[in-house]
Amino acid sequence: MQNHSQVSAPPPRRWLQGSVARALLGGIFAIGLVAGCERIAFYSTGRPPPDSNASSTTASSSTGDSSGDPTGGMGTVTRATLLDAIATCNLELLDTFQKAAQELATEAAEAKTDPAGRAEAQAAWIKAIDIWQRAEPFQFGPGGPTNTPGGQGLRDTIYSWPLVSRCLVEQNIVSKSYEGPDFGTTALINMRGLAAAEYLLFYTGTDNACTPASGINATGSWAALGADELASRKATYASVVSTGIAAMAGKLLGAWRPGEGDFAAQFRNPGKSGSVYTTEQMALNAVSDAMFHMETHVKDQKLARPLGIMDCSNATCPEAVESRFARRSRPHVRNNLIGFRMLMSGCNDGEGVGFDDVLVALGATALAEKMNADVNAAIAAADAVPSDDLAEAIAQDPESVTKLHAAVKRITDSLKTEFVTVLDLELPQLLEGDND
Amino acid sequence: MTERAEAVRPGRLARLASLLLRPEDAAALAAFRFCFGLLGCVSAIRFLVYGWVDEFFVKPRFFLSYWGFDWLAPLSARGMHALFVALAVVSACVAFGFLYRAAIVLFLLGFTYVQLLDVTNYLNHYYLVSLLALLLSFMPLHRAYSVDAWLFPKLRSATLPAWCTYLLRVQVGAVYFFAGLAKVNSDWLLHAQPLNIWLSSRTYLPIIGPLLGERWVAFAMSWAGCLFDLTVVAFLLMPRTRVAAYAVVLFFHAVTKLLFPIGMFPAIMVVAALVFFSPSWPRNLIGFLRRRAPAPAPALPARVAAPLPPLFGARVAIAACYCAFQLLWPLRTHLYGGNVLWHEQGIRFSWRVMLREKNGSVTYLVTDPRTGRTQEVPPRKYLNGRQERDFSTQPDLILRLAHQIARDFEAREGVRPVVRAHAPVSLNGRPAELLLDPTVDLASISDGLAKATWIRPVPTAPPIHLESLAWHRP
Repeated sequence: MQNHSQVSAPPPRRWLQGSVARALLGGIFAIGLVAGCERIAFYSTGRPPPDSNASSTTASSSTGDSSGDPTGGMGTVTRATLLDAIATCNLELLDTFQKAAQELATEAAEAKTDPAGRAEAQAAWIKAIDIWQRAEPFQFGPGGPTNTPGGQGLRDTIYSWPLVSRCLVEQNIVSKSYEGPDFGTTALINMRGLAAAEYLLFYTGTDNACTPASGINATGSWAALGADELASRKATYASVVSTGIAAMAGKLLGAWRPGEGDFAAQFRNPGKSGSVYTTEQMALNAVSDAMFHMETHVKDQKLARPLGIMDCSNATCPEAVESRFARRSRPHVRNNLIGFRMLMSGCNDGEGVGFDDVLVALGATALAEKMNADVNAAIAAADAVPSDDLAEAIAQDPESVTKLHAAVKRITDSLKTEFVTVLDLELPQLLEGDND
Repeated sequence: MTERAEAVRPGRLARLASLLLRPEDAAALAAFRFCFGLLGCVSAIRFLVYGWVDEFFVKPRFFLSYWGFDWLAPLSARGMHALFVALAVVSACVAFGFLYRAAIVLFLLGFTYVQLLDVTNYLNHYYLVSLLALLLSFMPLHRAYSVDAWLFPKLRSATLPAWCTYLLRVQVGAVYFFAGLAKVNSDWLLHAQPLNIWLSSRTYLPIIGPLLGERWVAFAMSWAGCLFDLTVVAFLLMPRTRVAAYAVVLFFHAVTKLLFPIGMFPAIMVVAALVFFSPSWPRNLIGFLRRRAPAPAPALPARVAAPLPPLFGARVAIAACYCAFQLLWPLRTHLYGGNVLWHEQGIRFSWRVMLREKNGSVTYLVTDPRTGRTQEVPPRKYLNGRQERDFSTQPDLILRLAHQIARDFEAREGVRPVVRAHAPVSLNGRPAELLLDPTVDLASISDGLAKATWIRPVPTAPPIHLESLAWHRP
């Protein structure tokens, strides 16, 4: 049994009666508040007003205008000026694309009634896709996936590649489902958009890609279409999807344009009321996420797969190239690289504010120069590929395509390592979570 | 053994017993139990509310298990959700001391199971929660201020033995001390990295934002953080400095909470640091809040004169071994040499908290030995974005996935492939360099605790120094 000799409890600490203790309680309360509002605390902050006088750094790394000022007269590069420049660049791109899409719709409509107009429609498609491929690395906000901030998935409604299905398009040709109301803007994304338009405008063969057991072959409904009827239906279908492309291009432009959706304002003013980006860093992250298109789509899907070095059971997989009917897979990659350069070095062939200017302002000049050089080297590698059709180039000169792939990989390696490190960006689709 | 030695030992043991078994006011430990349970409950609810149960444990196609724990598998989606609901419930039981013994053991098992499922989920503070739960499962913290004590009067005791507090102090003290020791490196002290990188991207914050881009601020915070971690335990242990030290604890963790997405970590450490206060602090606090004299503390025996409890020596030995482990295990990385932030051997379970901004890009090159044909395999074929980010800078995880890729290839093609990895990594803003020897066949290398010769030496370039760059327009 224990010997419990009773002793009195110690007197209350003197400190507990003083102001220090009150400060302690206040601190505990503050911690409670902070813990309770953790997401708000980290993601909802404003930024100083535009006229704030806080310090900033002048820098230039882009080719710049005649004065050598990449800010276009603003004189100072900050992350905010970068967001501003990206929004402006994107609006210009989307405006140009919308006009090209409208041109495509007009030409495709004419080709519907005049078969001789198909060449003009093809040229209009090439003009539109060339612009669109530059816009591919810009797919954040309304153009981006619906699970991203402000995302409406509009990119896929314009160009769904690699989600394409020639067989589905051919089934529609037989069923004439493209005649339904709003088909061009509401049908499944792999039945419309620029990819479907490419097949309809460029492919003149009378075969189809569906299995012998599929309805159009088993019932003979495809075979029953004569060559003329097939061409006529393709032209009509092409007109429908081209009109849809123009409509979706207008919708995407409208979503960004001031006076309509004005997403540009949300993008330029993160952290302010009404913006889906609760911090400026979140807006920059959205751009950097979109730039990873260079890895997932360009490096892996457009180059590695056809080259046979990824997800390909044969020596090469030329059937996996983009643009199998217009045979423009090389220009597509080149335009993707130019779009990437618009973000990296600034709009208009590297003029204006780009990520490189922010990197230089931060002191990461070597990284900025390296990434600019790598992007230019990749564009040069694309130019060195002997054919516009990568499938043909892989057959004739696989080394040139391998070099292009390696050049793109150098960009994506920098993007995933130093670039996100120096700018403290998150990798795409990184779940918000705890760290320590 | 000599008679003299035998004569001395019981005396020492008795003195040790009087120290460790000395009854103390149970109030502080009851408050700690309550706060710990509450944090566990909030943590489980966060996972459910934020959708993290699905993201972390249901959606991933592949889990990077801990070495030796390959046999652990996640439950079904419904099972994982049920587990987190159960964790919230048992945490609440711990907080209120209801069926405490069962609840704390169930919490320990459930929480640790969840953490062991995927290494990419590893966080130092989750490890700390598991360790604290382990310690709490041996402590009778339900004897006071609990539903158990109310339901079962025989359990009631206004005091608890002092060893409970000592063990918790050793555990929490180790966290702070080793976190401070880990900061004694050139990146942290001489280059203020990674704080310079992290603070530079937070210049948009109101009021303090413009300051955060200044390099001197990063240096000041780096040194202050290091000194804080190394010394705070000593100041918390001394009664004269305890309150001031705790105020600094609150300030430090509030600042880190505001600046960085570190979830429950600050709250856990703020609660954990309470173990350094006197056993009667809740009584004094309540008295202060009511502006009257605190409730009297329970009568405390002056000394222990009872016979030693059964197996007392063995219990002390086990506790001593635990403490020794906690003091030695975090140091194991020094056996590997080099820069632990680069090779990461021994980095886990060593309280190296927020020491690196590290990003990598891994591409596997899988070669069929029969044909010599090489194909690329991107990690995203197995991992989601969150897993890939954590994985791509940790050599043992890259090795583990290489083994899985080799197994899958062998199952498909009937031959063991050569698996190499091209893995450039940037540490604290250094130019990216290859983390692993790109010529090594990872499929032929066994995972283990030995020094990994297939990891390349740390880059010799210093970390980047970022200049101040404001967010706003000029």
